[in-house]
Amino acid sequence: MRRQRRGVKLLALVLGLSLVAAACGDDDDEGAADETEEAVPQGGDLVLGAEQEPECADWMGSCGGSSWGFWTMGANTMPRAFDIVQEGDQWVYTPSPLLEGEPELVTEPEMVTTYHISEDAVWSDETPITCADFVYTWDQVANGEEIYDRTGFRNIGSVDCPDSKTVVVTYAEPYAGWKSNFGGQYGIFPAHILEGQDRNAAMADGYDWSGGPWLIDEWTRGEQIVLVPNENYWGTVPSLDSVTFRFITDSAAEFEAFSGGEVLGIFPQPQLETVDAVSSGIDGATVDVQAQSPSIEALWLNNAAPPFDSRAVRQAFAYALDRDAIVERLFGGLDVTEAMQSFNAPLLGDFGDPEAFAGYVQDLDMVDQLMEGDGWTKGADGIWEKDGQRASASFKTTAGNARRELTQDIVIEQAAEAGFELSVDNEEAGDLFGTQLPEGSFQMALYAQVLTSLDPSVCALFCSENIPSEANQFAGQNWTRTNIPEADPSLAETDSNPVEDERSDAMADADALLAEDATSIPLDPLPNILILSDQVVGEVINNPVLGPFFNMEGWGLS
Amino acid sequence: MGTLILRRLLYSIPVLLVASFLMFWMVRTTFDPTARLRVSRDPTVIEEERERLGLNDSIFTQYRVWLGDFIRGDWGESSRTGQPVSEVIPQAFGNTIQLIVWGVLVSALIAIGIGVYSALKQYSAGDYVFTGLTYVGISMPPFWFALIAIHFLAVAPQDWFDLSSPPLKFVGLHSVGSSGFNWDYLQHLILPVLTLSVQLMASWTRYQRSSTLDVLSSDYIRTARAKGVPRGRVIVRHAMRNSLIPLVTVIAVDASLLFGGLIITETIFSIPGMGRLFFQSLLQGDVVVLEAWMLVVAIFILLFNLLADLMYGFLDPRIRVQ
Repeated sequence: MRRQRRGVKLLALVLGLSLVAAACGDDDDEGAADETEEAVPQGGDLVLGAEQEPECADWMGSCGGSSWGFWTMGANTMPRAFDIVQEGDQWVYTPSPLLEGEPELVTEPEMVTTYHISEDAVWSDETPITCADFVYTWDQVANGEEIYDRTGFRNIGSVDCPDSKTVVVTYAEPYAGWKSNFGGQYGIFPAHILEGQDRNAAMADGYDWSGGPWLIDEWTRGEQIVLVPNENYWGTVPSLDSVTFRFITDSAAEFEAFSGGEVLGIFPQPQLETVDAVSSGIDGATVDVQAQSPSIEALWLNNAAPPFDSRAVRQAFAYALDRDAIVERLFGGLDVTEAMQSFNAPLLGDFGDPEAFAGYVQDLDMVDQLMEGDGWTKGADGIWEKDGQRASASFKTTAGNARRELTQDIVIEQAAEAGFELSVDNEEAGDLFGTQLPEGSFQMALYAQVLTSLDPSVCALFCSENIPSEANQFAGQNWTRTNIPEADPSLAETDSNPVEDERSDAMADADALLAEDATSIPLDPLPNILILSDQVVGEVINNPVLGPFFNMEGWGLS
Repeated sequence: MGTLILRRLLYSIPVLLVASFLMFWMVRTTFDPTARLRVSRDPTVIEEERERLGLNDSIFTQYRVWLGDFIRGDWGESSRTGQPVSEVIPQAFGNTIQLIVWGVLVSALIAIGIGVYSALKQYSAGDYVFTGLTYVGISMPPFWFALIAIHFLAVAPQDWFDLSSPPLKFVGLHSVGSSGFNWDYLQHLILPVLTLSVQLMASWTRYQRSSTLDVLSSDYIRTARAKGVPRGRVIVRHAMRNSLIPLVTVIAVDASLLFGGLIITETIFSIPGMGRLFFQSLLQGDVVVLEAWMLVVAIFILLFNLLADLMYGFLDPRIRVQ
């Protein structure tokens, strides 16, 4: 979804951190940044705002998982086998300029993929990008220390090099998301530079080589990242002289920095003040709202803790909520008005069953029927009770997030009407994600799961083998303690079957079981918002995986 | 004076040891340095990290090892970024000290001026105006004032006067490609310094006013005036110097607290200083940074208290003699 607006802006600062832009004007679809046919001027220094600073630039290291790190540096400097593009309503993998064409995939008798590297592909020092770089990357991810995520690379049995520009990857275990292995956020690492070095130490603070259109010129911690063109890039060399990302972590200050022209583009989180400002119109800017985001925000229920350890209670709770009304209130200003109906991120389009939860619409009669069927009766105060236990739960989310706090208020009000008693118990993000969710010290939590590729990796979230426990030191990400043994095979197949239609069908089966069990309740898509000054010329693609800055080589300044 | 300094430094050591142990103990019991590793699918990672950080030892052993490393200059590595903490903190400190120096200087000069004026012109229209303004300043939330200042002193004037860029800057301490002490630096400095000064000025003005009033009603001032010393000389040579004594203490204490207290100013103005470092480390549970940060700030609080004592002695000869 794209929206462009121009108008006369009045940004007014009101109580607290609220920033409200009141505006009037026309909806004009002539954003300069969207003019793909317009000639891109040469030269110029573009300054953009970045809400977060990455912890390090070792993209495969445990510190390298920052989205902002990938969007600003990783996507522009690391060569990768696949790009992600939009075809119709679907986002799909397409071979990147690194490859000669689509890799060959063989699934029988064992899964083998063969990549042909472009003869032109070279690192910034003009050393050719070769099969050795793929071997090095695989070896580091599969066997290195403190790796962020080894998913997929562990399935690889060998990487062979018939010649320097041909890569043959043989899988010991089939892996459905094979395209993300060398086409995901890690990219390909230069063996000739990093072999024999401490990779993490060499890359943590940035690096002076590149296999993409840009080079990291400077990373001043806490202040900015500066990219300059990689003159030896074999594809389109950037027109701009430099791109600087300045770290502006306060959202109100970020908007002011954009209004004052200190930065010419921002990519703010969809907080309430952002939605208000965008819906009011921003002067001299192109606003791109991407509802097909990689994020799915949900009410995650602890299936192992009362009262949500009862399937009937979970189902009743799902019927208690008017989820569309919640989404309308949160993101109506962005024209995002419908609740998510599966746990598959919006960018996956029709993968699995996107309507699995559509049957859960607010129905208080159904709530009564399910609760009474499970032996609950309503107390004098209208709250369900059973064997002295009340249908009450603590409701956690990340402290200080106004949008999530508003969501909590609406959910609590709707739940109370249906006989559920919820109380806010918010936590700092570090405590919530680092301790409480892994340990199961929660009953209900509101947060988002974010995809970093086009592969859903659902087994990690819902397979019963991934329930954290003392025995496995709370490793595993099935924090909701979802335990549906009959769904496990379908979830596992979704992660392993490389045949796209079959894995989508398997996901649909799993979606149906997850919905029937009401293991948790999907809520909203957490849209991506990109705001660029009309001074920025070139094709703007708010890519939900590669980020909005992955094609800046085609940008210029008017 | 040398004895005074030595004695105060010696007193500071046990204070520092107790304070640092309490802070260390609180951080270690509040944060789990291995929490970030819990999403790892490798169950051995956490145990290896615990072993590496010595978390299986008693709290006293952990403290002894940590303090020894700290004294030797090994402050550890940030679990968030992997950077040596001995590099991270000085960098952040360098940015914060710029704000503090300018903020304290500007606030003190203005507060002293207005405070003395208000005392001399007690109950005049000017006194009432400044009194009102100080109450506004004291009650003004810094984050709100900062955003107001950005909007009305930087962004809006750009539109009002059709400027190509804001007259005052508010992202960092320099523009892209600029460095050093220049006009660009001053453009970036004005708004954050104004933000941190507004409350300091307001409260210090009140101190200076009441202190000056006290001094002006002293016998020795009346004596000086009775002996025919000109009014201006009485105020500057006799009244002001003594009236500064209480304010100096307040300034020293307030300034020391600013080393870690500029979280909002540094966040809104995108200045990577000590406050922002503390806030980020707190949110991310970066224990190694937090522990070193707290000790460094504690040291500076003690040093500034010492400085206050020295200034006290400098301004009041009786204390020097004692």
